[in-house]
Amino acid sequence: MRHGSRARLSIALALLIASVGCAPGADRFPSSAATTPAPTSAAAVPTQAKPAAAPANPDAAAPKPASSAAAGRPSGEISYWAFGDAEELAIFEAVVEGYRRHNADVTVKLNIVPNQNEFMTKLSASFTAGAGPDVFLINYRRYGQYAEKNVLEPLEGRLAASSSLRKDQFFEIPLKAFTWNGTLQCIPQNQSSLVVYYNRDVFEKYGVALPRESWRWRDFLDTARALTKDTDGDGGIDLHGLAAEPTIIRAAPFIWQRGGRLVDDEEKPTRITMDDPKTKEALRFFVDLGATHRVSPNEAEYKAEGPDSRFMRGKAAMTLNSRRAVPELRTIKGFTWDVAAPPSDAESATTLHSDAYCLSAASGNKAAAWEFIEYAIGLEGQQITARLGRTVPSLKDVATSPAFLDPGQAPANSKLFLELAPKLKLLPILAEWPAIERFMNEEIEAAFFGTRSFDEAIETANRKSNEQLKR
Amino acid sequence: MRSASIPDRRSLDGFGLGTGAEAWRGAVVRAVAMACAAAIFILPLVWMFSASLRPPGLPPPIRFELWPPEPTLANYSAIFGLLPLGRYALNSLTVVTAAVPLTLLTASWAGFAMAQLPRRVRGPLVAVSVMSLLVPVMSLWLTRFLVFKWLGVLDSLLALIVPAALGSSPFYVLILYWAFTRIPAELFEAARVDGCGAVRIWWSIGLPLVRPALTAVGVLSFVYYWSSFVDPMLYLSDQANYTLPVALRTLQQLHPSRWSLLMAGCVVVTLPVLLVFGLAQRHFLQEHRGSGWLGR
Amino acid sequence: MYRFQLVLMLVPYLAGLALLYVVPALLAAGVAFTDFDALSPPRWIGLDNFRRMLQDDEFWNGLRASVVFVVLAVPLRVAGALGLALLLYRSCRGVTFARAAVYLPTVVPDVAYALLWLHIFNPLYGPLNGLMVLFTGSFDGTVPGSARPTGWLLDPTAAQIAVVVMLAWTIGEGFVLLMAALQDVPRELHESAAIDGAGAWQRFSLLTLPLLAPFLLLLAIRSTIWSFQANFVAAVIVTRGGPYYATSYLPYWIYLNAAEYQRFGYAAAMMLVMLVATGLIVALQVGASQRWRAASVA
Repeated sequence: MRHGSRARLSIALALLIASVGCAPGADRFPSSAATTPAPTSAAAVPTQAKPAAAPANPDAAAPKPASSAAAGRPSGEISYWAFGDAEELAIFEAVVEGYRRHNADVTVKLNIVPNQNEFMTKLSASFTAGAGPDVFLINYRRYGQYAEKNVLEPLEGRLAASSSLRKDQFFEIPLKAFTWNGTLQCIPQNQSSLVVYYNRDVFEKYGVALPRESWRWRDFLDTARALTKDTDGDGGIDLHGLAAEPTIIRAAPFIWQRGGRLVDDEEKPTRITMDDPKTKEALRFFVDLGATHRVSPNEAEYKAEGPDSRFMRGKAAMTLNSRRAVPELRTIKGFTWDVAAPPSDAESATTLHSDAYCLSAASGNKAAAWEFIEYAIGLEGQQITARLGRTVPSLKDVATSPAFLDPGQAPANSKLFLELAPKLKLLPILAEWPAIERFMNEEIEAAFFGTRSFDEAIETANRKSNEQLKR
Repeated sequence: MRSASIPDRRSLDGFGLGTGAEAWRGAVVRAVAMACAAAIFILPLVWMFSASLRPPGLPPPIRFELWPPEPTLANYSAIFGLLPLGRYALNSLTVVTAAVPLTLLTASWAGFAMAQLPRRVRGPLVAVSVMSLLVPVMSLWLTRFLVFKWLGVLDSLLALIVPAALGSSPFYVLILYWAFTRIPAELFEAARVDGCGAVRIWWSIGLPLVRPALTAVGVLSFVYYWSSFVDPMLYLSDQANYTLPVALRTLQQLHPSRWSLLMAGCVVVTLPVLLVFGLAQRHFLQEHRGSGWLGR
Repeated sequence: MYRFQLVLMLVPYLAGLALLYVVPALLAAGVAFTDFDALSPPRWIGLDNFRRMLQDDEFWNGLRASVVFVVLAVPLRVAGALGLALLLYRSCRGVTFARAAVYLPTVVPDVAYALLWLHIFNPLYGPLNGLMVLFTGSFDGTVPGSARPTGWLLDPTAAQIAVVVMLAWTIGEGFVLLMAALQDVPRELHESAAIDGAGAWQRFSLLTLPLLAPFLLLLAIRSTIWSFQANFVAAVIVTRGGPYYATSYLPYWIYLNAAEYQRFGYAAAMMLVMLVATGLIVALQVGASQRWRAASVA
């Protein structure tokens, strides 16, 4: 009896010790324990390449020196985090695998979070705890605060010193997006633009002219109206000319094309200017597509089924999206589709969508991390990434090669993405942008579906956005 | 006066008060009410299951359909092809297999101990436990992250299991504490006099008497560890360790409008829980004359 | 010696309380007085976060939405749980199945549950809409006689009700609690009261209810705490805070600030306020029940 209870007690104590005692939480230098990551075993606690950066520690940004110091090839372990869905996961893994063949001494621990917002949460939580990744992928709309707080290791110098890559091999505008105070912080991996996807068969069926390269807003509206039809006579619209997402990233090209601005100064924004007259005109045009002309699904239809799904079912003649939509659209069997430039007005412009590889300033193994980035952003890495079709490569050589332009795959007009490259414009890079974006989207959506008046909506969006900036 | 042991079916209102017409009417009304209640609560789950059987290619339903036109299991094979669901399920299973027994162990220890300690110790403990329940869980994410990092358990399934070794949640401890306080102290006294240690008393006398509460905590903690989404998402950095709820979120990102696919994912995530519940529910949904799950 | 053994058994839980609740809570409370974005060390700013909160429209909107939700949901949940418990606590044929059915929705994992209701509330293709079509015969997303398409997620008021409704299915836990409490009421008491001529309602209000009172209070408290904090999964997955901020409950706004905007100091300050608000409501409930108990004894 006593023996039994003592045994139980000692098990209990052992458990307690195991959970608290043997964890110094110390910083382990990546090279000192190059263990391979344990996949599913619950008992394995892989060593971490995580330097200390306790929040209360004033020199949080000072990295610990990597004790690998092996002259020659970098080695050790690095962690690489990104966001993406299941299909992109396969591509990320392929890039990591490709790099492993390139340098087998470095182990890359991959972590993909499905949702971008949750990814951002995890990223910041990890940085607080000093457990941040060495390399991570981030969108330019979200990287403002990271750049501001010196969390990133600027890559300008490393790129200049690289033997395999040169800055001029990349498209300029994405590079600009990731340049802060004159220094390149991260290296862009892709540079998609907003385009119009259209259903060729529907155009031909109703004898409507295909979108021309230089078509204007008027043509766009007329096309959309011509293709909004009640095909079975029941009073409900069965085919919409356009399936639009009423958000600021879809509306932004229209703003720039009219000559309007979202912020007062693009380099150093201090004020949101949605009340700028030209901005308002452009937004009015965009909002009227839904509110007045009803060429886009109404609120119930929009909330019941997203624009991409609608387009894929052939229920919408056109939709606005970035290159991201391509892999999914490639599964369409019932009709042919292609891409066209967004309609232009006084100018032609489109929105930049871009993600970049960043190197953490607190990384403990920058040599290996940079070598990995070099590979992933270089010829081979970008060719692998281009396979899925979801991104437009940031490296000119790959973007102009069949890896991207593949004539055997839709969209036939892939070169459009390259033609649009000089017309890309950036959304404002502000630390408060995610909060501002939400306010803008709520108002644009309300105006688009007619639940709020346009003027009220714009005034509210402008006011709330500027309040954020005053923080 | 009738004794309490006569089965209820004889007395239609449950109290042996007659079998007249009124009592019959009452019984019928009750039966109908019961059936309605059951149907209402089951309905969403039926919808979940039936939506998961809808063939992916069909246009979306515009009339009420309880059962899809050509039911198929294609969605299930599709989601297993899209995501490594088998691996995620294994992870979920690992976590649950470790966490539930650990929770039962540590929570019943704590409840047992608290029930027997003097009031001046017990009181503050209960107060702290209740106050801990008040704290919004969201405020603890970031700071727990720091604690886990200090413990060195970040990035492995241990991060999900460690809370179990520490009692999981004050709620479970309180349930068991309450159950243990209902046991007459004399029983424990007698055993102490016989020379038994605390653990022995806990094992042979305490536990059997709180079985319904134990079952309840078992089921509740199973559900918690199986369904937990935020913890794996935040504390795990290795893909391979992800659990099922994270997979569901991934699926939602991938195909936000493909409902049949999402519902198939939901069924896969929910089914094991339903099974466990089905097996365990007799223990805490039945009447327990004499020692209800609150003890007596 | 025995006492010492008891204390040892308590140690894991104490460690858990400290490590997982007390320490993180204290840290979080401290962060409320700083400006902290997780990328640089926290910067002490005293009461600035709270001042900012007072002028933040989103905060007030969130607080209002949360309070409205609690006021609607808690009585519904407690009354619903009580009604179901009264219906199902006595044994008879099929009652086990009914009890299991009532408890079932609570065991469905949060994310799956939210996705399921996102499907159910789908304005055009959801089963709820299908039910309406069955009864009204029309399909274009409108209810006959109304100009705007209806849809639980399209109208601000309907959306708030939708979230209450959606979470109403999870009263299983309270139901189990009350059912166990009802079963603890000695049958003899009921029987002797009945023989003395008390009707069903009298038996209930004078006999059952007072015995149930502590459990009802516990359930009310738990429902309040839960209603304040738990509707944010619904807000994130089903309504996304909409339409037009109608369901941007305080936890949702806090979540956005912490998770998406990286304003941890501000989020922590709001959580402190939420904690205080929850505590106040709970204190009110306890106070009210004390007063009621004193009155009924007198």
